[in-house]
Amino acid sequence: MATLPASAWDKEKAGVLLQRAGFGGTPQEVEALAAMQPWQAADSLLGSPDLARAEPPASVTQPGLTEQQRFLRRRLDLLTPKDRGRKGAELYRAIRAEQEKRLTDLRGWWFERMANPATAAREKVVLFLHGHFATSEEKVRNPTVLFQQNQMFRERAMGPWSDLVLGVAQDPAMLIYLDGARSRPEQPNENFARELFELFTLGEGNYSEKDIQEAARAFTGWTVRLPKKAGEIMDEETTPPSFVNNPKWHDSKSKKIFGKTGSFDGEDVVRLTLQQPAAPRWITGKLWRFYTGSNPTEETHRELVSTWEENKGQLRPFLQAMWTNPSFYAPELARQRIKSPVEWLVGLCRQLERPLPAPALASEITTQLGQKLFAPPNVKGWDGGITWINTTSLEKRYEYASWLVSGTLGMRRLGDMDLGRLAIQSGLLEVPRPMIEGTPMEEPDMKKEFAEKRKAAARQARELLAVSPAPLAPLAAPEDRQDPARLVSRLSTRLLPGETTPPELQTRFRKAAGETAPLNDAAIRQTILAIVQSPVYQLG
Amino acid sequence: MKEAGLKTRREFLRTGLLGGSLCWTVPGFLQNTMLSLHAAADGQLVQGVTGKDGNILVVLQLAGGNDGLNTVVPFDHDDYRRARPTLGLSEKQVLRLGPKEKVGLHSALAGLAKSYEAGDLAVVQGVGYPNPNRSHFRSTEIWATATDAEKSSSTGWIGRYFDNACTGCDAAVGVTLGSQTPQAFAAKTPKGVLYEAGGRRRRLGADGEPESDGSMTMAMEADGEDGPAGGSIGDIAGSSGKIDALDFLERTEMDVQVTQKEIAAASGRGKNGVPYPGSWLGNQFALISRLIAGGLKTRIYYVSQGGYDTHTGQAGAHDRLLREMGDAVSAFLADLKAQGNLGRVTLMTFSEFGRRVKENASGGTDHGAAAPLFLAGGGVTAGLLGEMPSLAPRDLDDGDIKFNVDFRSVYATVLEKHLGVKSDPILGRAFPLLKAYG
Repeated sequence: MATLPASAWDKEKAGVLLQRAGFGGTPQEVEALAAMQPWQAADSLLGSPDLARAEPPASVTQPGLTEQQRFLRRRLDLLTPKDRGRKGAELYRAIRAEQEKRLTDLRGWWFERMANPATAAREKVVLFLHGHFATSEEKVRNPTVLFQQNQMFRERAMGPWSDLVLGVAQDPAMLIYLDGARSRPEQPNENFARELFELFTLGEGNYSEKDIQEAARAFTGWTVRLPKKAGEIMDEETTPPSFVNNPKWHDSKSKKIFGKTGSFDGEDVVRLTLQQPAAPRWITGKLWRFYTGSNPTEETHRELVSTWEENKGQLRPFLQAMWTNPSFYAPELARQRIKSPVEWLVGLCRQLERPLPAPALASEITTQLGQKLFAPPNVKGWDGGITWINTTSLEKRYEYASWLVSGTLGMRRLGDMDLGRLAIQSGLLEVPRPMIEGTPMEEPDMKKEFAEKRKAAARQARELLAVSPAPLAPLAAPEDRQDPARLVSRLSTRLLPGETTPPELQTRFRKAAGETAPLNDAAIRQTILAIVQSPVYQLG
Repeated sequence: MKEAGLKTRREFLRTGLLGGSLCWTVPGFLQNTMLSLHAAADGQLVQGVTGKDGNILVVLQLAGGNDGLNTVVPFDHDDYRRARPTLGLSEKQVLRLGPKEKVGLHSALAGLAKSYEAGDLAVVQGVGYPNPNRSHFRSTEIWATATDAEKSSSTGWIGRYFDNACTGCDAAVGVTLGSQTPQAFAAKTPKGVLYEAGGRRRRLGADGEPESDGSMTMAMEADGEDGPAGGSIGDIAGSSGKIDALDFLERTEMDVQVTQKEIAAASGRGKNGVPYPGSWLGNQFALISRLIAGGLKTRIYYVSQGGYDTHTGQAGAHDRLLREMGDAVSAFLADLKAQGNLGRVTLMTFSEFGRRVKENASGGTDHGAAAPLFLAGGGVTAGLLGEMPSLAPRDLDDGDIKFNVDFRSVYATVLEKHLGVKSDPILGRAFPLLKAYG
């Protein structure tokens, strides 16, 4: 594969790489990358192998439910049907709220890793894998197994593609999400086999219905188990389900897959699938689209496939080759890639050198913009590209941008966000605990009390979630304040790296800065807003 | 005069979203459309299109693959009963569509059964297409692009309707209730805005708990998977006909300014004349009705209800889905009737496929092929259209129902008879029309 010569490597390209491979950064980071050789720059973004190690957030590994709730969960079937319905519904809500809280914490933990320059590019790969092997909490309903999947992506993201595909085939969250866990020889479930071929590895048209049916048989026996000690009652909260290969549930009879016959099992299917000629084309095309926002040209695609094959499907060397290919920086690709909500949020904070919003707010922002982590819309993941943008989401991007630039202090409401819900997700408000004996929620006085508590917590949440104004010192040096033209140019370099600002936009930004020197803080914020509240800022 | 119009428009943009702090540059694509807008529309949000002015199509997508056999039920059929030992519905469990008909609606669709009696509902049986695809995504795309199963297209059928019949229209000619522009809207010149009524989208599933207490809906959603929501505009935009990202962003920025306020105003002017169910879908239909009553000149409304991918535990889940759908739709039809707008509106349902005739071992059904759909509205001729396909095992295609009516015949009928436009430029060729309109 062609490699960019050092002579062609400059700050503009370094800015593009930092944005696409990671989440963007400061002008200093761009300059540091520009000072390296292209290959070295790509290598430095991915960093050393030990970066895959990560301590999970405590909330994920610790049981969330109270003793009482766990007791109730076990005893639910002993109640009268009438009580079971009511208390079951209350318990169910409490469990959901608890899971939401833990997921919020998990999202906050992940956002921090994305915003950390040392791990950003790796976390971008993890984000790609999360969208590619989409798995949603809405069905899986267990933050711990979702974390384990996320960590599996992290640990295998730099190695062979086959390890990732196999990891996914044996991943408890995926086994639950695509029903592999309930597949039995007498009634094999085709869900996982179908998506494995259609979405994960080959693409439509590169397999037959028969291949799906036979592969589903081969995957039988791969299921999940709740590890249970003797005498202990099964409890998904403390002991998440783990992968198990159960030979009793495996259909060991002969199968014919992709024209080959044998008594194949799941590992065989993964191997046979990745041997298909469509396999390298599928994944390389998808990676190219993720990182550039466009389909590769036929010529580039052929190059990508041969690079993939030369590297035996190892992701790290492939990514580095892709990032240093001249086509990656082709002018036709400029302004074609729309930042995802997560990339937009993390990137804006990084460029403004400001801390991320609190986890519940950060999570709510990307959710409102169309990307709820651990809850992709379906097994195909997020469609990305122009689907990130519609009248509602663009308006919200502009609104949230103003929060991150100017802060939310003094605002009586945070957009149309439900502060009560965010209070629960931040752990400020306990969901009323259902009880076997005692006052049920239906009684008016308890309801009223809860409503009051909720109001107070919403107030508290507003304070807790308040966003401070972005500090201006790193963004505008004293000499920038003396000259509006200079300020616009400095801020454009920072916020639109790798973009040559068209003259009409320059005018728009200049107008925001005004003509009065020295510029006060309000004028500087106004200028920043003019840049980030523009169509071109959504691209990268 | 044109020059003056342009200037006003620019001024409007400048004082739009951010309280006048921005100077707007007019994106290139607008130079032409704005002039024509101002020349012809002169303050109107949407101009009239050719043909029957003022008619509206509401598309309701049942995403995930609705089980057609348990929606319009051949309760009397031996092959049906044999294939559905546990899920099959008996005569007592359905709402018969007349004494002679051997089919009935699922009992959760009581409201729709009334509309049928009132003459406002047609059931088109056995709708599908040749060489059916059983992938949610691909089949949704086929319905959205209205192409043959072997071909692909970078535009959707509704988008082509806009391109053909509504050049110069404002973006609000198409309104999607939800958060994602549907694939069917993909166009050479994309149009359409998103707008959503409040309320949480309910996720229904096998063990779904209905939400009731408004104060408790905060962090809690009912259980179950939503299933494929089915096809957004981006699915095909990248495949061949590439949309320039910056152009698209600039256009959207315009739409934010111009249309969102108009929609909010129309929604404020319109009033609902009947109570709606409190579901997410009910809220959306209540909003559509207010927008119609409020005089918004939208041609196409699009709303999607997910959750129909009932591989396991279908009975309860399907019942709840159909009830939510039927209750929302029948309230909507009653509201339109009260407003006097029912004659202008056709509601069309569709799902990417039906489900396999034979139920599976998990109390559910797998992906199938042809299925019935509903057409409702004042102009619609009530009754059963199309033949009920045979369920005899020898007549099935790999266990699935064969189609009798190409879905593009339904589109063509709606385009020609309701929206008053020629269908072959939009659908690529002529399709036989159904006798769905008097």
